[in-house]
Amino acid sequence: MSCGDGHCITCSDEGTPMRVVAVDARRDLALCEDGDGARSSVEIALVLPVAAADVLLVHAGTALARIEAAA
Amino acid sequence: MTMRFVDEFRDAELGRTLAREIRDTVDPGRHVKIMEVCGGHTHSIYKYGVDDLLPANVELVHGPGCPVCVIPMGRVDDAIAMAHEPGVIFTCFGDMMRVPGSRGSLLEAKAAGADVRMVYSPLDALRIAKQEPEREVVFFAIGFETTAPSTALTLKRARAEGVPNFSVFCNHVTIVPPLRALLDSPDLRLDGFVGPGHVSTVVGARPLEFIAADYGKPVVVSGFEPVDILQSVLMILTQLRDGRCEVENQYKRVVPYEGNLRALEVMAEVFALRPHFEWRGLGFISQSGLRLSDDYAPLDAERRFAVPGVRIADPKACQCGEVLKGVIKPWECKVFGTACTPERPIGTCMVSSEGACAAYYNYGRFAREREVV
Repeated sequence: MSCGDGHCITCSDEGTPMRVVAVDARRDLALCEDGDGARSSVEIALVLPVAAADVLLVHAGTALARIEAAA
Repeated sequence: MTMRFVDEFRDAELGRTLAREIRDTVDPGRHVKIMEVCGGHTHSIYKYGVDDLLPANVELVHGPGCPVCVIPMGRVDDAIAMAHEPGVIFTCFGDMMRVPGSRGSLLEAKAAGADVRMVYSPLDALRIAKQEPEREVVFFAIGFETTAPSTALTLKRARAEGVPNFSVFCNHVTIVPPLRALLDSPDLRLDGFVGPGHVSTVVGARPLEFIAADYGKPVVVSGFEPVDILQSVLMILTQLRDGRCEVENQYKRVVPYEGNLRALEVMAEVFALRPHFEWRGLGFISQSGLRLSDDYAPLDAERRFAVPGVRIADPKACQCGEVLKGVIKPWECKVFGTACTPERPIGTCMVSSEGACAAYYNYGRFAREREVV
């Protein structure tokens, strides 16, 4: 099992920047897309509020932080 | 596809500029050893050849921060025992399937008939439980404070949605106790730490302050791109040059100094500290592992299934412990690249792509000459 370009989330503890495509606010889930275009459902309860086009740092299917530009 | 906040941190010219500044900053008469705590950093360092840009007297030492690498064999045996229980679907991250226990891996258990499935997240495991209500679905939870919130949220969701056939085999660990154990270790001399970036998104930088306050070592919480790591090394060397030791945050674009308070709250609700937990190569470390809290005990796989719970000594030939403590380099291990390869790993460090040995091996860094003492 290989991890392409550091964006593979089969590596159990790898953080992946993902862009929000759509938000399901009722269930605290968002459909997100990684840098290679692969999509998956992400838990967003820890980083609410979330809007489409936000970039989130995702670990094991859960967003831990919103990635913001360096000050 | 380009990804903003990623591409600019892989800029080669910026990397070369930082490398020049590092050479100008380090004391040429001093050999500086810096530990990168996190396996994600180790992976990045060898993928991008960051260490090749550093002067010979700046040495990066790989720490214990790969969650796959620190799982002891006994816990893998327990996982396999659960996977063989009738009616069980055992779910885990991809890397864990290849970690050897005393009598094979989860992948081999799957080949022998156990229903072992790879998932990308605990949420995927919960989805399987809802799809197959007549089966018992167990999730093999591993990882530091980066993956623990994910497990915690899934457990909360399982309880809220009333999914009775879902449980978690909890092997989550925390980063501070092993760091303290390393700093207390007599055979290790370190000058500074590249702090764990993604763990710090959850716990914040404050829990690392003891490294500066109690042990007098600089810490720089770092991002994972090559420019991030070079900049963090430069910040550590600047602290050493100026006679400072403090916790600095290079990864401000992601890490708030206080961490993610919501994540910490969820973890405090769902988990409780174990009195001690075994780490591969490091032995038992006090208050370093998490179990499910009493509130969540009905979802604890260790209470739902009988497991051997036997401690298994690491294989004699394997030197993962010394690699995890940074005492030896991966290629100095007796079995590196010969008996132990990513295809047939003996030790955990060769399994995960974040493991120091696999990182060396996969990026062609196994041909280095061994140091002659």
